[in-house]
This record gives sequence, C-alpha cells and structure tokens, in this order.
Amino acid sequence: MKCPIETRENAELLLAYCTRELDAESTAILERHMEICPACREFSSGQRAIWEALDAWEAAPVTLDFDRRLYRRIDREVSWWQLLMRPLRPALVRQGLSIAAAACLVVMAGVLLQHPASAPPAAQPRSAQVEAFEPDQVEPALDAMHMLGEFSYRVRGDAADPKM
Amino acid sequence: MPERVKTDMGGATAALDYDAELMLRVKEGDGASFGLLLEKHRTPVVHFLYRMVQNHAVAEELAQEVFLRVYRSRSSYEPTAKFTTWLFRIATHLALNSLRDGKNERSQERLDKDPAEMPARQISDSRPSVEQRMVYQVRLEEVRQAVAALPEKQRAAVLMHKYEEMEYSQIARVLRCSESAVKSLLFRAYETLRAHLAHMA
Repeated sequence: MKCPIETRENAELLLAYCTRELDAESTAILERHMEICPACREFSSGQRAIWEALDAWEAAPVTLDFDRRLYRRIDREVSWWQLLMRPLRPALVRQGLSIAAAACLVVMAGVLLQHPASAPPAAQPRSAQVEAFEPDQVEPALDAMHMLGEFSYRVRGDAADPKM
Repeated sequence: MPERVKTDMGGATAALDYDAELMLRVKEGDGASFGLLLEKHRTPVVHFLYRMVQNHAVAEELAQEVFLRVYRSRSSYEPTAKFTTWLFRIATHLALNSLRDGKNERSQERLDKDPAEMPARQISDSRPSVEQRMVYQVRLEEVRQAVAALPEKQRAAVLMHKYEEMEYSQIARVLRCSESAVKSLLFRAYETLRAHLAHMA
C-alpha cells in the first residue's frame, strides 16, 4: 500500500479510518501499513483528537420563537402583496371579463402594429435589385420608350386632324 | 465519540424523495408541509450557521433568511438535487456573504461563556466540578478559534463533513466544486486544525 501521507491519493482513507467510515478490508490494510509507518500513526491519533475536540463544541439550542418570527415574516410578505393588490381586486372581480377582453385587444393591436413595421426590411433587397440595372438593359428600354413616344405622338396627330 | 453511520442508498433515496415531495407539496400551497421541513431542518441549519459565523443572533437571523428564501422559491422549485443540498447551498451562500460583509465582526457573542446557558454536557460525573468546567471552556474556546481561523470554504467543508455527516459528493455540490477539491479542502483543513490543536491529543 502507498503511504497516504506521502501520496495524498489515499489521504481520504486516513480521514475515513479516523471517522470509522472505512470498510473492514481497507481498515485491515491501513492498520497493517500503520504498524510500520509512524507518520500515519501520528496523523491518525491527531485526527481522532481533533474529532473529539470538535464533538465538544455544542451549539446553543434554537430559540423558542424562531418559527413564530419566521411565520410573521412570511405573513408580512404575503400581506404586503395583498395590500398592493387590494385596490385592483374589486375591479378584477367585477370586470374580469371586460378587462381580459381589453387586454386581448391591446395585445392583438400591438401584434398588428408591429407586423407592418417588420415587413419593409424584407422588401428592401427587391428594390435594391430593381435599381441595379446593367447598361445593356438600359439601351433597349430607352429605345422602347422612344418608339412609344413616337406612336403616341402620331396617334394624337391623327385624332387632331379628322381629314386624314 | 459518536460513531458516524453511513447512509444506505435506499435510505438516502427515501430521504431525498420525502423532502422533495414535501417541497413539491409546499409548491402546491400546502403550508403544513413547509412546517414539516422547518421542523426537520431548523436545528441543523441554525447550528451550521452558528459554527460558521460564531454568533448565535446572526446565525438565527441568517437561518430565517434561508427558510424565507426556500418559501419564496416554492413556485419555481424543481427537485433536481437533494433538498438538503439546496438548503445548505443557500445557507453557505448567506454565511459566506455575512462573513465577507463583516456583519458579525467584533460582535462575537459569548453565549457559552455562562455555563448555565450551555446545553448539558455528557460527562461521567453527574455534576462537573468547577475545574472541569474551566478546562472545558478553555478547550472550547481553542476549538472555536481554530475553526474560525480556517479559510471560509475549508470551514464550511469541515462543518458539513463533521456535524452534518455529509458525503464528499454532497459537500461538492453544495460548494459547487469537484469531489477531489472537497477532499483536498478537508485534508488541508484538518491538517491546520491538527497543528492548532495538537496539544489536545
């Protein structure tokens, strides 16, 4: 067995041994080791002394009104909440349905108002695409506009001169 | 010296289920279940806090806050860990904050100075002599000072290990560290205590 003091890996074994938590097999192994290891023997006796010294430290009993004080604090918290809600309670009781309906309307209006606001960002790429004409697309478009202009001029001319 | 008894797995599971079940009933609005939890855990929590801050009035005040927080958290409670792990996590957190704030600094109570206020000690004689009482008081003061001198986390680990008989794994969950870190904390803490209290051996 590796010495618990030297390796520290087995240090918990020594602690468990001193608090009598160690199983019989490990206890036997450790006791065999301790017969030849003064450091572990010293650790063990020191640890047992600490354990007994800590046993002597008894805490004072809890005061008798501990629960009463706690429940009073809890009641105070609850009554604060009730105090805050008291002015609203009659309205909530009498007009519960109408308030709920109004609340639903407000929520729906909020949703509807928010919806158009979120639409424009989706349309942005399309308008950007329209504006980005290539030069070879502009030339036929100008030709077409010129032809349309000429056609409209002739049609108006014909309409103005009935003799023709 | 009282022998530590290892909790069997079945018992541990049953205890976990019982406390968590009580807390779930509190969540559903059952005040009586909160009373049962308070009855069961009041003394260990107050004693743990007392040994942490070494001031009885502050310890009780902190314990009130612990149970108040438990009550406040009832609606959001989920039994993801052992109830006592959660409870002592709150207690440790409050104790460490109190120590850091120095709330109990220079107001160390000496409630145990008057032997009449101390719980009865199990000594072989039915009535301890004056000398025995004095020896006891001196030893107690040394123990208290040695524990108070430990770094906060080591102190919490020792108190949970020694007095609450918690397993390393549970202490690790309370202190939010690894099990090996807890073993290391305890080893160093007991090493320090042995150095301070070696003459008691």
